[in-house]
Amino acid sequence: MGGVRNKVIDRKEAFQKSKQPTGFLKKLIHSGVVAWLLVFLIWSIASSVSDPQFLPSPLAVWKGAIDLSQDGSLSLYISVSFLRVISGWILGNLAAIPIGLLIGRISLLRALFDPVINFVRFIPPLAFITLFMLWFGIGEQSKIFLIMYATFFIVTINTITGVQALEEDKLRSARSMGASEWQIMLHVIIPGSLPYIFTGARLAMGSSFMAIIGAEMVAANEGIGYMIWNSRLYFKTDWIFVGLVILGLMGFTMDRVFNLFGKAALKRYNVVVK
Amino acid sequence: MRTVKKPVTESAPIISISGLTKSFANTDYYVLENVNLSIQRGEFFILLGPSGCGKSTLLNIVSGFIEKSAGEMSVDEEEVHKPGRNRGVVFQQADAALFPWLTVKENVEFGLKMKKVPKNTREQASAHYINVVGLQGHEGKFPRELSGGMKQRVQLARVLANDPDILLMDEPFGALDAMTRRTMQTELVRIWKETNKTVIFVTHDIQEALLLGQKVGVMSVGPSSNIETIYDISLPYPRSFSDKEFSLLYHKVQSHFD
Ligand SMILES: Nc1ncnc2c1ncn2[C@@H]1O[C@H](COP(=O)(O)OP(=O)(O)O)[C@@H](O)[C@H]1O
Ligand SMILES: [Mg+2]
Repeated sequence: MGGVRNKVIDRKEAFQKSKQPTGFLKKLIHSGVVAWLLVFLIWSIASSVSDPQFLPSPLAVWKGAIDLSQDGSLSLYISVSFLRVISGWILGNLAAIPIGLLIGRISLLRALFDPVINFVRFIPPLAFITLFMLWFGIGEQSKIFLIMYATFFIVTINTITGVQALEEDKLRSARSMGASEWQIMLHVIIPGSLPYIFTGARLAMGSSFMAIIGAEMVAANEGIGYMIWNSRLYFKTDWIFVGLVILGLMGFTMDRVFNLFGKAALKRYNVVVK
Repeated sequence: MRTVKKPVTESAPIISISGLTKSFANTDYYVLENVNLSIQRGEFFILLGPSGCGKSTLLNIVSGFIEKSAGEMSVDEEEVHKPGRNRGVVFQQADAALFPWLTVKENVEFGLKMKKVPKNTREQASAHYINVVGLQGHEGKFPRELSGGMKQRVQLARVLANDPDILLMDEPFGALDAMTRRTMQTELVRIWKETNKTVIFVTHDIQEALLLGQKVGVMSVGPSSNIETIYDISLPYPRSFSDKEFSLLYHKVQSHFD
């Protein structure tokens, strides 16, 4: 009897425990607020003892951001950089995913291209900036190609890995249920490798940002990279900081939005690992 | 005497294998050598043998997943080299075989969808076979939400929905706990009786073989394995371990592996 009662009480306790909110402090730490407060604190202290041209205070940066917003240049630069990244990234994905699927599926293609892919992928996009300008001009084209390049290999390699990671039994079962090769591609291989493709696309977003800022620093009249680079000429260190913060925010937001999309629209494919 | 126009008689085997030999590329031995086997329509055939003797290899050849090296194999009196809808395969690892992005119902309808069967026919079939395997109420769940035994039921329903003549099962209950395995064995016998399918069931478990099979083909230890002896098990279903004849048979089969 006693044993049974104990068991019931234990269960109740466990239930309450699991329902209890975790400590307020723990929550605060997890929300990131504490970390950001710390950053601001250290930043403020450091800036108070140094030259504002060397390290502007958070307040100065905030004022710089307002300066830049007044004539609309900040929002223009944000949208220009954003458009470049998003269009190059989409185009890069559109090229990389089908190629990755094919290479992953056809061992002959894999044998053929594997050495090339593994060679070229070590050349960072930034190394191509001058070359792409030479080939595609200094306009939008060269920048979009650069983003495509930055996207292409990451997504291709991830897609290939995803296709290869699919269990043979899935293909076999589909085949014995009468699926054609095309149907297997459409209904087994693509959905099955989506988690890998998704991860590749997400990583590529990061490298696209790096590439575009580099390209805008070297050759552009607009964009966040241009802004950062140009601010140096006027010793507007606060503007440089505005650019850095904006970059972080843009990357963070895009990643979040993409993740939310993955969680909602691609839920059944389990693309977002918690 | 046989005439050219063969009537499909009771005795025409649905699967017929003769002189079948298999060695894998880059190996210098035969996994299977001179396998001879014929299986009657509607028969529950067990392929029994120790691990590594070539059971899966033989089943994969019948499935059409891999090519034999020599010999003949025909299904319904036709040589086969490819997988086909007439042979439904139930794999050992449900997680590897099921599509985790599809619900139970969608998994079961997969084959019919590939065949472009209209939606309402498809739904009738899936509802029926989900019922047959006892998964009603779980149609909308994803495989990851199911237990191991339930996943194997999904595999079974998915295969049955294509209405194959033959079920090929490679140690399908090997990964289940003992209690679930027992339940699944009983269920399989019931389903086999309900659907009149021909079954080839691979196992290395003698008890399982004797619980399920009408015939038990014992394979010799590899390499160059083949089917050493075929036992006719005439015990009525449901069978029980405690049956005297069961234990006699058990010891007889066991002696092959001593
Ligand atoms: N793809 C392969 N290539 C080379 N050898 C293989 C391959 N598949 C199986 N074998 C070998 O064939 C033998 C039989 O394997 P298998 O049919 O899986 O045995 P079982 O299913 O009876 O345990 C084993 O010795 C195994 O190593
Ligand atoms: Mg095996």
